[in-house]
Amino acid sequence: MAYSKKRNRNIFLIFLLPAILVLFLTTIYPMLYAGYLSFRSYDLAKPFVPRIFVGWSNYKEVLTSSEFFHTLWITLKLMVMTLSVQLVLGVGMGLLVTQRLPGMGIARTALLIPMMISPVIVGLVWLFLYFPELGYLNYFLSFLGINPIAWITSTEWALWAIAIADIWQWTPFIMMGTAAALTNLSPEPYEAAQIDGNSTWDIFTRVTLPQIKPVLISLMFLRAIDAFRIYDIIFVLTKGGPGDATEVLSMFIYRQSFTFWRMGTGAAASFVSLVVIILLIMLFFKSLNHSRRIS
Amino acid sequence: MKNLFLTAWICATLSFGFGGSSGAAEFDGIELKMLAIGDTSVTRLAPIVDEFEELTGAKVQIDMFPYPGLIDKIVIEASANSPSYQLMWVDSPWVGVLGESGALEDLTDLVKRDAEEINLNDILPIQLQENTWQGRLLAFPASGMIWHQNYRKDLFENADEQAAFEQKYGYPLAPAKTWEEFIDIAEFFTRTAGETLGGEILEKDFYGNAQAYSRVAGAITHDFFPIFRSFGGDYWDADTGLCGINSDAGLAAADVMKRLVPFNPPDYLGLMWDIRTGYMERGEVAQSGYWSVRTVRLTNPNEAVLPTIGEAGYAPSPTGDGGPIETMTGALSFGINSKATDAEKEAAWAFIKWGTSRDIMRRFAEEGNGVSMFHRSILSDPKLQERYPYYKVLLETQDEPGDAKRRIFHPFYADVEEIFGVELNKYMAGETETAAEALTNACTKIDTRLRVFPEELRLRWINDVPASIFE
Repeated sequence: MAYSKKRNRNIFLIFLLPAILVLFLTTIYPMLYAGYLSFRSYDLAKPFVPRIFVGWSNYKEVLTSSEFFHTLWITLKLMVMTLSVQLVLGVGMGLLVTQRLPGMGIARTALLIPMMISPVIVGLVWLFLYFPELGYLNYFLSFLGINPIAWITSTEWALWAIAIADIWQWTPFIMMGTAAALTNLSPEPYEAAQIDGNSTWDIFTRVTLPQIKPVLISLMFLRAIDAFRIYDIIFVLTKGGPGDATEVLSMFIYRQSFTFWRMGTGAAASFVSLVVIILLIMLFFKSLNHSRRIS
Repeated sequence: MKNLFLTAWICATLSFGFGGSSGAAEFDGIELKMLAIGDTSVTRLAPIVDEFEELTGAKVQIDMFPYPGLIDKIVIEASANSPSYQLMWVDSPWVGVLGESGALEDLTDLVKRDAEEINLNDILPIQLQENTWQGRLLAFPASGMIWHQNYRKDLFENADEQAAFEQKYGYPLAPAKTWEEFIDIAEFFTRTAGETLGGEILEKDFYGNAQAYSRVAGAITHDFFPIFRSFGGDYWDADTGLCGINSDAGLAAADVMKRLVPFNPPDYLGLMWDIRTGYMERGEVAQSGYWSVRTVRLTNPNEAVLPTIGEAGYAPSPTGDGGPIETMTGALSFGINSKATDAEKEAAWAFIKWGTSRDIMRRFAEEGNGVSMFHRSILSDPKLQERYPYYKVLLETQDEPGDAKRRIFHPFYADVEEIFGVELNKYMAGETETAAEALTNACTKIDTRLRVFPEELRLRWINDVPASIFE
């Protein structure tokens, strides 16, 4: 019996080994190496720069850099812009696609398409739409008598242009989560609310919303983490410009690492960014627990 | 003894006979890969690389990438221990970083050895100097560039436009000699749809100028630096080796670019090199200063609309006071990865010699595919000059010693390009209030990185040592 248990455990470990190996090679080792780099002066393009231990100086450089805080601010701004719109539209769409209306099955599938497209392709599609002279967006706006807008080359519009592309791609994610949450709601509270004569709006705000709130918080939390990872769309559309109007945290890390080749500073910035994300996660969990306690 | 002779005869027959009849070539079995740009310095050559394989046996594969991000790939390639690419396309400002890190093979001895074969004396010396680092030749020119102005010759020669211009500005319309004239011309030709241009009603807006204002890959610095240099500016402080761009010349250049903004297309902050040249190629702007490597498209109706609706004119870059100042040159070149094997290096050098040879260059010119040439004999050929009028400008602006001066070549060029790209772009976008603030911000950031190095090293980096191939 004991032999069989041990054998089972060995087989179990053998099956786990590939996953552990992949996890180690693709996540744990790079992370440890990045941690090591963050304490070193390491310039990939300039081997003549001494590659030495520099203590906390890379972290100090990042945390005293106005550029870092500017990019953090832009990241947070973009996060609020995209999340707020995605939440409203996503919940609305979720409510719509869960209605028993003809064609909703097809609509639900079609609405998921943007989410399945690679962000680089999304960026390219929107680049064509935003193109100042030849873009469709300005072409259609001209029928409304609106002058061409420099979507991606003006400091007023560029961040919105990125937000719009992100909203287009990821609102279906909120929709999908909302729809899943709505389908699992029990009908009793609704029946009781209808008997009490509540309006549709009241039913939504007092019955539906509190029930799906934990799901919405989880969805927002996932999207918030994504906001810190956003890179591809910005790289294709604006590359952080004009000026530094759309330079988010991931662009800052990229520039340090692959434009200036200062791998140590780039690694330190990545870890600072990780701390910010962890703080954000803690905040979301706190609010999730709070909402669970209330419900 | 008889057997010995027989064996020797059989061996000789096998080696000569087989070698000759089967067409065994010098570099049979060698495969070379080239990390390159998709621009005229490479696109002309790429379709005919099979000819090189027929000649030498070496197979060459050219992988073309856009300019933004290409240096990133080259640096990663250079830092790898076992290279994937034996040949590298090199923009001359990269020579400093690639040279100081030892990424490129020193071609000095090879050039000296094959001087006659490559017609060394026919090559403009500044184009070779462009590719040197501390006196060593690290790459060989495939396109020799100058930064100059292109303009709508048909509009400049239109009698009505000439009269209107002279009436408004008090001097005749001609390619600008000063930046003040350049701004006047840009202002004069900026028209909106419905107005008349060259006797025709415009269907869409027409712009006086197109320059690169984008921060992407420091595109704005590529137009700022020639203007800065034309005001007599120097990138570095000669005493300290620190940033010298926040000078009067820097302020004057930033002012010129800012004053040109209203006469540029509305998406000016996103104008990259190719988008900017595209406006000129479609004939949608009156004038544009840029590198001659793209000028070559202006005479080819397959690559530009302009030859079908008008005519391009070419002139040297304007200067601060209109007086002569060294032309800003550049070179798009081919280099050899220093980590390639000896056999690969020899084959790569053979490819460079073939691909940049006078015969190939002349063939491109005769086939109608212009390349920004660097051989005197081609640039001075009267027939070719008639076909490609910019050849005359290319020759006259860099032929004599002292005519021209090379581009920036510092190991921290990527930092300079990126940091100035962002700071200048912010100034043009109105995010930074004054040019002085933008230039000081940029110089401070660069100096912070440079100050950790001893002054002696900084001064060595800014010293343009003449190429030892000229010794």
